[in-house]
Amino acid sequence: MASPFSGVLQLTDLDDFIGPSQECIKPVKVEKNHPGKAAAKIRIEADGSYFQINQDGGAQKLEKAKITLNDCLACSGCITSAESVLITQQSHEELYKMLAFNKTAAPNEQKLVVVSVSPQSRASLAARCKMNVLETAKKLTTFLKSLGVHYVFDTTFSRNFSLLESQREFVKRFRKQSEDKKALPMLASACPGWICYAEKTHGSFIIPYISTAKSPQQVMGSLVKGHFAEQQHLTPDQIYHVTVMPCYDKKLEASRPDFFNQEYQTRDVDCVITTGEVLRLLEQEGISLSDVDPAPLDTMFSSITEEELTSHSGGGSGGYLEHIYKYAAKELFGIQVDTIQYKPLKNKDFQEVTLEKDGVVLLQFALAYGFRNIQNLVQKLKRGKSPYHYVEVMACPSGCLNGGGQIKIEGESSKDLLQQVEKLYESLKTEIPEKNQTVNELYEHWLGGMDSEKAAKALHTEYHAVEKTSTGFNIKW
Amino acid sequence: GRGWRGRGLREGHAGGGVARGPSPGSQGQPPPPVQPHYPPAPAGPSWVCRAVLGEGHQRTVRKVAWSPCGTYLASASFDATTCIWKKQPDGFECVTTLEGHENEVKSVAWAPSGNLLATCSRDKSVWVWEVDEEEEYECVSVLNSHTQDVKHVVWHPNQELLASASYDDTVKLYHEEEDDWVCCATLEGHESTVWSVAFDGSGERLASCSDDKTVRIWRRYKPGNEEGVACSGTDPTWKCVCNLSGFHTRTIYDVAWCHLTGALATACGDDAIRVFEESSPAAPQQPTFSLAAHVARAHSQDVNCVAWNPKEPGLLASCSDDGEIAFWKYQRPEVC
Repeated sequence: MASPFSGVLQLTDLDDFIGPSQECIKPVKVEKNHPGKAAAKIRIEADGSYFQINQDGGAQKLEKAKITLNDCLACSGCITSAESVLITQQSHEELYKMLAFNKTAAPNEQKLVVVSVSPQSRASLAARCKMNVLETAKKLTTFLKSLGVHYVFDTTFSRNFSLLESQREFVKRFRKQSEDKKALPMLASACPGWICYAEKTHGSFIIPYISTAKSPQQVMGSLVKGHFAEQQHLTPDQIYHVTVMPCYDKKLEASRPDFFNQEYQTRDVDCVITTGEVLRLLEQEGISLSDVDPAPLDTMFSSITEEELTSHSGGGSGGYLEHIYKYAAKELFGIQVDTIQYKPLKNKDFQEVTLEKDGVVLLQFALAYGFRNIQNLVQKLKRGKSPYHYVEVMACPSGCLNGGGQIKIEGESSKDLLQQVEKLYESLKTEIPEKNQTVNELYEHWLGGMDSEKAAKALHTEYHAVEKTSTGFNIKW
Repeated sequence: GRGWRGRGLREGHAGGGVARGPSPGSQGQPPPPVQPHYPPAPAGPSWVCRAVLGEGHQRTVRKVAWSPCGTYLASASFDATTCIWKKQPDGFECVTTLEGHENEVKSVAWAPSGNLLATCSRDKSVWVWEVDEEEEYECVSVLNSHTQDVKHVVWHPNQELLASASYDDTVKLYHEEEDDWVCCATLEGHESTVWSVAFDGSGERLASCSDDKTVRIWRRYKPGNEEGVACSGTDPTWKCVCNLSGFHTRTIYDVAWCHLTGALATACGDDAIRVFEESSPAAPQQPTFSLAAHVARAHSQDVNCVAWNPKEPGLLASCSDDGEIAFWKYQRPEVC
């Protein structure tokens, strides 16, 4: 079976070997209660459990060594070889377990279940169920709430923050490019397939170029477990936050240690399920989404103006290039840009946008989707030959609407289906992040201003080069 | 047997301190320490080492390939890179290093146009690169069709059609569709690793050799063919029309199909080189090949690679784990 992770992630460290790769740097450490001096004897029981026989004859049951998603992220090893290890930790089964737990748990043990749906997943569901986007959103709300979910939000809302932070960061970097050689080009940060690949394959070379703005998924994580929790008089660990995403790589993003709240021992996003997994949920419940009654949408953290869902311009991967371009043109050069002209280069997943005035190139931006284009971009960068100021990098050819977790329809060509999903995605009115009242209020009341330390902490993140350690295993004989 | 005359045994790699590391085509075993010795020079023209390119790679160099124009040499290495060398009046200069494969690059091949290059690797992928007028190389496609280590890539003699051979027991074919490359055919039949593939001079047939000790001949059937072979859409179908089994006693590492004479040479793990000829009159649907020549101890270890000289009929080069490169003059026997 083909790996569900993005092509970019798959190509990092493939191996002939099945199971955890020989490069797994997790020689799993198990805490031993009584560090022994002499060699211990191990006895294996009939049921497969292991017991350590101490010198005094006493037996001690040994903990099964486990490799968790977090461990895998820290490693340069097998991440895509041992998929079964990774996927079981986060799936619609986990959501079911939580919802079942809630039904029988005591009131003070119950968790508030929040689901944040990405606009790409919504468009994919709409195409599959043959409905428009608003209907899909309303019926999905009904369905999820019928399972025990308390709130259903839209990550288009949190994307406003990602876009605003990205554009401001870009202008800051542009202004200091003479002092900082690695200020530009700034590379997009919303795609975890790209981030994991960059950290593992290019490490400290590429990290300085990557924008520190959090992805919409993780901004929503901060919002839900921070501001929303406070409003509900709950601690972050009393909320179970699920996101619905168009790809599997987002599961890895949610598991990053940077997005783990140490104080409350809880993740900003507890579980990521793909669009396909939502379909499986529907099938398991025997429900056809089109037959469900629509419910009013939770407007708190959703992008709705007067009963109309809104989106952002600039394509199905978030619109980073467009927003940063327009903002930078205005801020840096006083130029108002209304429409953007894309120039496709070698292939449709590599396009350029240039801002020129009196024959001088002021800004040169690009879209680079898919592994081959990312390859070429990074190689050019390494040779000092990249002409760009900003690149919207995405791991999947055709962007997020074509993510590995989107619904595929049997009998329909993937090209036709993608076109349908794109059309549905673009059917919504677009809004400008700066004009969103709720967003502005949150900057004031939740974060204490756009330039506050709290804003920096809640809306930005860090990247870590993955070091390949030299163990006996990774010497290639 | 008949028709063979060993000509010019060259020992440049195993002996002396020159070009450390296994010779092109060997399986990566560390060479045994050998005292340099020089055999008596044979009568006739001999081969002289003109250059040693020692500064490009950190590990085994597995494959080299000349560009069609002859100006460039590509070298594929276990260090995960492919170097492109340009011939200068005073030697060779490394003009660029292609990076991107995750681990050992096993093979490299130039397309007949000279604008495209293909590489393949243990990372299961096949990459297609494009070079422009300014000698800039860019990755055009990364193909992930194989499920295991890819051993060999080769281009069709006159079309932009690429073939690859893999540890997953299949041969795959690729071509460009819209703005990307796609796998347009998978040839199944071998029971073990396919080590190499070769097109015949016309490009209508392909020979593959395998760890299963057979050489298979495949023929291309275009849509609407008169033999009635079914095709899907506009893609041709490739069918196996001949299976040469029982001739080789070990893994067959390489196969070379002479574009001048049609002779098929094989490099085998039993240290032998064999040449097969097609029996005439040729029956296209069921060609028969017979063993025309067999040198049992062509080398003292596995023969890894065989190559026909593109201009001189019957001139064959071979190389082996024994560190030697041998040149052979082959003549088709009268009765075959």
